Order: sequence, then structure tokens, then C-alpha cells
Amino acid sequence: MTAAPVTAVPKRRLRDRIPVVHQLRQSVGLQRGMLVTGLVMLAIFILTAIFAALIAPYGFAQRADASGSFGSQQPPSPEHLFGTTVGSYDVLSRVVWGTQTAILVVVVAVILSLFIGVALGLYSGYFGGWLDRILVVICDAIYAFPSLLLAIVLSIVISGGQSSLWGGVLAAAGSIVVVFIPQYFRVIRAETVRIKAEPFVESAKVLGASNSRIVFKHVFRNATRTLPLIITLNSAEAILTLAALGFLGFGIEPTAAAEWGYDLFKAQSDVTSGIWWTALFPGLAIVFTVLGIMLVGESLNDLADPRLRGRRRVAQAAGEVAATSVVPGGALSAGPGGLSGLEDGETFDEHGIEVKR
Amino acid sequence: MTSASTNRRRAILAAAGVSVAALTLAACAPGGGGSTEAAGGTITIGTTEQITVLDPAGSYDNGTLAVHTQVFPYLLNTDYQSTEVQPDLAESAEFTSPTEYTVTLPEGLKWANGNDLTSSDVKFTFDRQLKIADPNGPSSLLYNLDSVEAPDDTTVVFHLKAENDQVFPLILTSFPGAIVDDEVFSPDEITPDDEIVEANAFAGPYVIESYDFNNLVSYKANPDYKGLLPPAKTETVNVKYYTEASNLKLDVQEGNIDVANRTLSATDIEDLRGNDNVKVVDGPGGEIRYLVFNFDTMPFGATTAEADPAKALAVRQAIADLIDRDAISEDVYKGTFTPLYSYIPAGLAGANEALKDQYGDGSGQPDPEKAAGRLETAGITTPVELNIQYVAERYGPSSSDEYAVIKDSLESSGLFTVNLQSTEWVQYSKDRVADLYSVFQMGWFPDYSDADNYLTPFFLPENFLVNHYENPEVTDLILEQAVTPDPAAREALIGEIQDKVAADLSTIPYMQGAQVAVTGTDVEGTEDTLDGSFKFRYAALSKG
Amino acid sequence: MSTFDTVPLAEGAPVSGRPKPKSQGGGFGRYLLVRFLLIFPTIFILVTLVFFLMRTTGDPITAAQGGRLGPEALAELRAAAGYDRPLFIQYFEYLGQLITGNFGSTLTTSQPVIEVLATYGPATFELVFYSLIVAFGVGIPLGLFTAYFRDKPQDAVFRVLAIYWYAVPVFFAGLILKLIFSVWLGWFPIAGRASVGAELQMQTLPNKTGFYTIDALMTGDPEVLGDVLSHAVLPAIALGLLTAGIFLRLVRTNVIGTLATDYVDAARSRGVAEYRLLRKHAYRPALIPIVTVIGLQIALLLSGAVLTETTFEWKGLGFILAEFLESRDFVAVQGIVVMLAVIVAITNFVVDILAAFIDPRVRY
Repeated sequence: MTAAPVTAVPKRRLRDRIPVVHQLRQSVGLQRGMLVTGLVMLAIFILTAIFAALIAPYGFAQRADASGSFGSQQPPSPEHLFGTTVGSYDVLSRVVWGTQTAILVVVVAVILSLFIGVALGLYSGYFGGWLDRILVVICDAIYAFPSLLLAIVLSIVISGGQSSLWGGVLAAAGSIVVVFIPQYFRVIRAETVRIKAEPFVESAKVLGASNSRIVFKHVFRNATRTLPLIITLNSAEAILTLAALGFLGFGIEPTAAAEWGYDLFKAQSDVTSGIWWTALFPGLAIVFTVLGIMLVGESLNDLADPRLRGRRRVAQAAGEVAATSVVPGGALSAGPGGLSGLEDGETFDEHGIEVKR
Repeated sequence: MTSASTNRRRAILAAAGVSVAALTLAACAPGGGGSTEAAGGTITIGTTEQITVLDPAGSYDNGTLAVHTQVFPYLLNTDYQSTEVQPDLAESAEFTSPTEYTVTLPEGLKWANGNDLTSSDVKFTFDRQLKIADPNGPSSLLYNLDSVEAPDDTTVVFHLKAENDQVFPLILTSFPGAIVDDEVFSPDEITPDDEIVEANAFAGPYVIESYDFNNLVSYKANPDYKGLLPPAKTETVNVKYYTEASNLKLDVQEGNIDVANRTLSATDIEDLRGNDNVKVVDGPGGEIRYLVFNFDTMPFGATTAEADPAKALAVRQAIADLIDRDAISEDVYKGTFTPLYSYIPAGLAGANEALKDQYGDGSGQPDPEKAAGRLETAGITTPVELNIQYVAERYGPSSSDEYAVIKDSLESSGLFTVNLQSTEWVQYSKDRVADLYSVFQMGWFPDYSDADNYLTPFFLPENFLVNHYENPEVTDLILEQAVTPDPAAREALIGEIQDKVAADLSTIPYMQGAQVAVTGTDVEGTEDTLDGSFKFRYAALSKG
Repeated sequence: MSTFDTVPLAEGAPVSGRPKPKSQGGGFGRYLLVRFLLIFPTIFILVTLVFFLMRTTGDPITAAQGGRLGPEALAELRAAAGYDRPLFIQYFEYLGQLITGNFGSTLTTSQPVIEVLATYGPATFELVFYSLIVAFGVGIPLGLFTAYFRDKPQDAVFRVLAIYWYAVPVFFAGLILKLIFSVWLGWFPIAGRASVGAELQMQTLPNKTGFYTIDALMTGDPEVLGDVLSHAVLPAIALGLLTAGIFLRLVRTNVIGTLATDYVDAARSRGVAEYRLLRKHAYRPALIPIVTVIGLQIALLLSGAVLTETTFEWKGLGFILAEFLESRDFVAVQGIVVMLAVIVAITNFVVDILAAFIDPRVRY
């Protein structure tokens, strides 16, 4: 976690400071290929969600049109490119509308966990004390527990078992939030603890800056630079969790929203009866979206880690980027941060961040 | 599965009612008995049902009942393809006074472990049911049982609270009727599964040979079985427990198991019907689906701002006119559920088609014009907004599709706008009795196959639906049929009840499930046991 | 991420390098002790969390009997079971039981929770074990391979594949694997841990362990063993590939890191061949972080196991936990959660110790 020498880097232009755009410029070769592919897939996902109403031939809960009922489990045809489900829904339409549900869950989950996780992390890291220690232990406990199981319990609690659109979205998002907060918390806390010890914070204190000003002006802006990475990972995670909840039957009512995991769950018995189209397309939609997000995440990870960055640009970038490494889908470092928190509040792994999937 | 409170109420009401001549059950000798020819072979059955607790005092669910049916003796039972209650373990059973039901056992009965099976076991069974009264147990069905007496080794006298209860013999064939060994079971607590299996405390057509809870249970034919059914045709039956219907389907399709019973999805069954390696066997089903109206909170209900019983009735009638049962049956259930036009499923004595005559176009099809006319006459501005609740999963994976069809058939008339909401089962159970739902889905699987089980729990005051329906006429008729011994007179009463409830529309029944088993082509006997008892008896099965 | 780091720099504050961790007097022993003691609050927190969460979601009696009993009858049964008492009383009662080592009996199936754990734990253990074999067997060689071919097409292909494995939901992968390998090709069984015959044979063993692999060995029948192993293939692949992707990235990153270190450079300058560098110098140090990560992967694997177990009828802890959740069997859910928490905590503890022994550089 080496912050750059002060004088080495002049204030950079705006386009260099926007995350992702900066990395895009920074990348070369294969890495750029992966990043661009990921971004394109992500763009397709987002655009589909925005223009779902235009793209989808039918509504997500539509079972008939002017020419009559769609019929159940019809194979792909010109009228229904992806066929229809047992409930006579158009598969293509549900796949398209499903992007909206997915994006909703991602946005709600990431924003909530970001706010809460960052706030707690800043507080814990900056002020320390008994609250810090309790938070660390709680977060470690949650962190260590199989997240999906927690998500199931929480989804029952949050939605009261109801499966309206918002009930379902909030249940999925809420359960993801609880699982993610510890991740943001740990990263931000560790960064805060580190930055707190930096001379510039000391000097700000000496100059009489208030705690809140220090936290928000100095610590916050520095501690949050690893966030874009975690956000991409969590977005992928959010979609997978939503799908898993849907698959386990804690999904969203099909007339309230289209949800891929739920459709897959419903399609299970179709697959075993040779009706492949009801499962394949929602499944592919999940894979496509998660793949896109992960490609972006993986590229950001590489670019953030000087060891992994394209060889040619290493020298140029080394001065300005912290040696941050986040491994998508897995932690790169040892043990929970809790011990270090209790022990001396200082140590952290050599890469700075730990992110569990 | 009857509400204890409703039953108790009925018991009190009935006790005050007219006393009717005692019913005598024909005392015919139990069939089979003598022949001891060794059956051979092995059959493997797969199911997605689950066992809860092997002890009959601690379970009240169909998955466990399926086990009890094979291994525990019952005093009374029904024969294959019959709904007539006959002595099973018993030699005779009859009302010896209005409140005394006397059962005699043959002499020399034995449990599979060699213990004597006498009246003391029977007394012990019912005493412990009442004593333990386990929250998950079926003791609530024994609402009318006061005490049990065993004057000698072969005689049992049940002292009842209400007189001439026609339902009591039926209850002896159902959940609490499984007789247990008093030398093995604990008198005051649930006996663990392993102890029961180890002690071999069985006396049904089969005994359990090895027991891997909810994974694999292996049965062996019981050579000492003496009861109604002929001896088991197959020596060894293995039952494999599944959790995913799709895995069960694949295994039966690939021939890894011989029989798949309860519950394959409709899509799977349709697919298997076209498969030459298996045969699909259908039997009558007692399972029904119905739509419940909460008379307080439905549109124009008693506690709404614009309360108006006439308008509320018009709304219910219009819905009854519009539901497209054929579409649900064909599109969603592929024929594994059939349209139901009355409160009592077709096949049970007394069932009619009250709703077919009173609603729709008279032939079971929806009739939007009739519905529109009703609403107009009642002075209701359309569209009427309906919030319909259904349970995710509880009644099978097709509920969401089923309700999508209902929503469509209501909305396409332009008379209703429907908001569907599905809720997870536990929450649903709490909310529906708290008047939170105005129109909601329910399903019913009977405790015993008799019309009473489709009326008493639903349409008495303070019924388990808690939908605030009350019609004194209906109440009286229901109480009367329960103590009417003459079958014809009772059926007439039951018909009248259905007509009256259909006019009130406390609920709208719309689907009746068939029992479907899928077997390998070499498996015989499935048709025999898919009968109105709704008990799948392995003793009937054989493999060629 | 360099988005914000210009700000303090612009203010001219000098920035030091990463602060050196303080060395401590207690050293390793103290570390171990604290690490060990931390297991208890972790379990305590999870139990508390699950206890109160579960109580807000309903009770087992409503779950089982809500479809047949009226509200008064339900209330009566709930009162008889003691669920109407104040939550805190129930909570402390449960804690008291736990401290004496009494996990209670499940409410729906009346089995001692310990027995449930003993029955289903081995299945999950076996699944996780086989998945780890797949994860190691696939992840580590491919990690070395991609590091060796760094930034070449081979590298890209396998890295994208690794991400793909992660992106495919386990249940979707399971469905497809089943269709291809069980139904179409008929190579492997569809689901379950063993076929009926094999299970019956193992059940007759006098001292069966519940670990089917071991039980199968004890029967001495190679067919039973083959049956058990063939049942494990598809679930292990479905779950293992998920983790393999993670291992692949981990190995690749670390090998690239070590390849760039001074001592490897020195070896390289001595003319040591590149593949030899990979094998002799970069491989071992790169494995150390993997050991530590396994600890964290346990939680991930257990999450994945819930889905894998459901898809493949693999009757393990994740599967049974989902069942108990549905029936609101608090006692069972709490018991299993405690068990899982203990497993995760102990695994992490052991892994930390291992890592400390393997890698003297780990700081304490």
C-alpha cells in the first residue's frame, strides 16, 4: 500500500481520474482486450435494462396477445424467438426484462452496503475504541459464515416471505448488503487505520482541523480508492445471489418482475423433459452478465497490481498507483482482519485488501 | 386435516342433537390371512415426500403416513379400490351404544418381533396419542374420543363424547389409527425412529428392515401380517427419498427406480406419458385447490368502507363465472389436475357439480357476459380491483402458473384488475388468519376419504379458514349428515350442503388432483392401490 | 486505484511508505491464543444473530400445521411448546443449553441435533473434500500454465475460462452436467451419493462412519467403491470448478509475483531455464497464499455446497439446513449454524497456524 511520493506526480487530468476510463487508457494488449470485452458486455446489459420496453417483444407477465394465447412450452419460433414457458410467458421477453430486476438489485445492494460499510469502516478505523473491536468481531463472524445461508434467512425476514417486486428486490439486495458490509468495512477500516498514521493527517490535526473534516476530506478520499474494484465484484456477487435465491424458491412473483434465477428454478422440470429453451436462455443471461462484470473486475485488478500490469506500462504507472490487489472471487491474503484489529490495529496483508467472494 | 377447535365445537353441538340408531359395521373376516406363499423380488420406489417422525403420535403428514400404511396395523381400513370402511386388524367393529364403539380383535395376533398384539396395545395407542398430544401429531383428530377401555385381550371399547359419530370409524383408518406396540413405545413421549426400527415393532404388510432417515428405507414383507389386504406380492421394497422432482423423473425414466410416486411435475408426467420405457398410472385424487374469500376484507366485505353483502356476493359470483378451469387443467397441469365444480371431489359418495350448474355457461366454461350482468345488476362499477394471494411452493411448483391463468381469465373480461402476490408458506399461514388477505389460494388433502372431511373443516362457524362465513342452515345440515347412518339420506344431505354453499360461495373450488404414479413397464399392481383411500400400499406392487 | 491520491499530495503533505507492522513481545504464542479465543465470540455472534432472525420468521408449528388447524388451535400448540414466552427467556435458555453442550433436538423430526450433524456432516465433508481435489487438480496446474504463458493467448483463454467457471451458477452448471453426462452419455449417475444397492450394503456395516468412501472401502466390494466414487464425480466438478477458477488466478498472480523477485532474477541471470525457474523457484512460494486462502474458501464452498447438494440430492449439511429453514425448525438451524461456524473458525485457525509454519515471513 504505498502511497506515491508527494512531489512525483502532478495533478492529473480529469479523464485520468475517472475510474475505469483511466484504466482503459492505461491498459494494453490482451488486458485491454479483456477490459474492453467486459465493458461492452456490461454496456449491453445496461442498455438492455434501460431500453427493455423497446427491446422486449412482449411484457414479462404477458401470456397472450391479439392473436390469442401464446401457448405453454412452445419451442422457439418467429413469434417467440426463445420459445415460451410452462406459464405461457415469452422467454425472450422475460430474459430482457430480467436485466431490470438484476440491475435494480445490484444498485440497491451496492449503494446500501457501500454507504453503511464505508461509514462504519471510517468510524471504526479512525476512532477505534471498543465499538471498533465489537464491529470487527461481528464483521468477521458474518464474513466467515456461508453467505448464501445468511441470505436465505435474511430474505425471509426482510420480505416477510412475500414476493412482490420490491419485496423480492429488497430481500435479495438486503441479504446481499449484510454479507457485503463486512467486506467494505474491512477494506475501508484497514485503509483508514493506515492513512490515519500518515503524516499529512497528523499535520492536519496539528493545524486544528476537526475530526469530521479530517475523516471526510483526507481519510475518506484516500481510503476509498479501492472501491471500484470491490464494487464490480460485489455486483457480480449480487446477481449470483439473486439467482441462487430465486433458484431456491425465494424469488420474485413472475407477474411482479422477471427474474432469471426464478425462471431457471421453474425450468428445471422442463430441462429433464427435453424442453431446453426455458432454462438455457435465463441461464446464459446470468452467465453473460456476470462474465461481463467479472472481466471488468479482473482487468481492474490486474491494472491495480503493478506486478500484473502489462509489462510496458509498469514503470510509468508505478509511481501513482497503490499496489492494490483484489482477487475476484477469492481472497488473496491470510486470515480475517479481526485479529490484526484486536492486536495492534495496524497490520494488514501485503496487498492491502482482502476480498472474499 | 381438521381444525381441532371446529371439531370440538361440532362434538358439543352434535352431542346435543338427535340420537340416531347405532351403526353396525359389517363384520367380515379379514381377507388373506392363511396363505404364506413366499413372495420374491425387489422393487425400488422413489418419492419426493419426506418422513418427519416415525412415531404415529408425532407426525401428521402424508409422507410419514405413507410409511405407517405399510408397517403399522390399523383396526379398520378400506380394501383396494373401495371406500367402504372394513375391519382390518379387527374382527368386528360396531356401535354398541350411541357413545360406545366396540372393536373385537382376533386371538393370537403377534407383532413382527414376537410380542403379543392385544387390546392393551390398542388402548395404549390411543391413550398415548391423547396424553402426548404432540404439536406435530394428529391427536386433534381424536376430538370425539373420551376414553378407551380394554375389558379383555380381544375387546376394545371406545367411549365417545358425541353420539353416533359416523366419522369416528373413518378416523380410525387415518393418522391416529396406527396401532403401536406397548412394549416398545414410550407411553408419554415420542419414541425415536431408531428404537422403533430396532425393536421391529411392526405388524403391517411390511416391516422396516433398514432405515436411513429420509434417504433410503428398505421394507421386507411381514409373513405374520393378518389383515384386510392380501399378502405382499413383493418380498423387498426399497424407498428412495428425493428432494428434486427432476431427479426423481430422470431416475424413473432411466430405469434406476421402478416406481415414482408423489410428486412429479406436470411437465415431467406429460413427457413420461410419451415414453415407452415407463407407464403412467392415474388414480382418483382427493387433493383439491380452491379460492377462499374473506367475507370481511374482500371487495364490499363486512369491514370495508363500502360494505354491502349483496355486492360482495355479486363479485364472488362473477369470479365463479369467469374462472377458466380447462385452461388451468390443460395448460398448467397437463391433465394431472382436472376441473372441480363442487366442494367435494368427484368420486366420493355424495359429490355433485353444484358450481357447474350455477355459474359460467352451464357446461363448465367461463361466461364473461353473465359475469358482467351480475356486476351491473348489483350496481358495481367495473373494473373491480382484486388482490389475490397464493403460496409459493406449498401446493406444488405450478401455483404461479395456475394463478397467472386465473389472473388472465379474470382480467380478459375487463371486469377485474388483479394483483397477484405470492407469499412464503409460514408467513402466509399467519397472515391469512389475521384478515390480511381478501382472496387467497388454499389446497386440501383429506385426512380420510369421506365427504365430511371436505365440509366440516370449512363451512362451520369458526372454521379453519377463518373467512367469517356463516350460514346457520349449512351448519345444521353439516351436523346432521355427520350423525346420519343411512347412506342415501346422508348423500342427499351432502348434496344439499354443496348446493347451498355454492350459492353463498364461501370458497370457489376449481381443481382436483389425480394420483399419478410412474412405473417401469414390468411393474404391476399400481392401478390397484391408486384408489380413493389415497394410501399407496406397496403390498399391491409386483415386478414381472 | 489512483483516483483520489492526488489530493493530499497537492496539499503537500509528505507521505511515508507503508508503515511497518509493530513487532510484538508475545509473539506467536500470544497470537495463537487470541486467535483461538476469537472462535468463541464468533460463534456467540452467529448464534445470537440466527436465534433472533429465525424467531422473526415464524415458528415450526405454523409451518407444519398452518394448512389444517385454525388460529386458536395453533396458538394452543405454540403455547404448549413454549414459543409464546418472552424471546429473551428463550434465548438465555438456549444459551444455557449450549454451554452444557446440549444442542437440543430438532422440533420437526425429534432427532438430537448432534445426530443430525453426525448424519449429514460427513456428506458435506466428502463433497468439499472432492471439490478441493478438483480445485487443486485443475486450478494449480492451470495457474502455473497461465503464468508461464503470461499475456499470451493461452493465458487469456484460461483466465476467461476461470472467470466463466465462477460466473456460471452452480445449479445451472449442475443441470447441464447432469443432462450431458448422465442422461445423454450415461457415464455417471444422475444424483445421490450412492445407488440403492450400494447404500443397503453399506448400511449393514456394524460401524459405519457416514463417510461413504470409507464405508465403501470397509465393505471390501470394489463395485460399491466404484459406485460411490462415480456418484461424487459430477457434484465435485460442479463445485470444484468454481473454486478452481479462484485457485488459478491466485497461483497465476503469485507466480508472476515471485518470478519478478530478485532471487528469481538472480537465478535467471545464472542461466536457469524459464520452466525450471517456474518449477524450482516460483512454484513453492506461490503456494503459500493458497494454503491460507483455503481457510476462507471453506465458507465459500459451504455456500456453494447448499446449491450443489440440492441439485445433486447430496444429503449434506447445506441441504438439510435449507430444509430446516423452510420448516422453521429453530433448534436445528441454530445447531447447524453453530456447527458450521465452528468448522469455519477452526479451519481458519488451523490454516493460520499452518501458514505461519510454512512461511516464516508471516508477521505476528
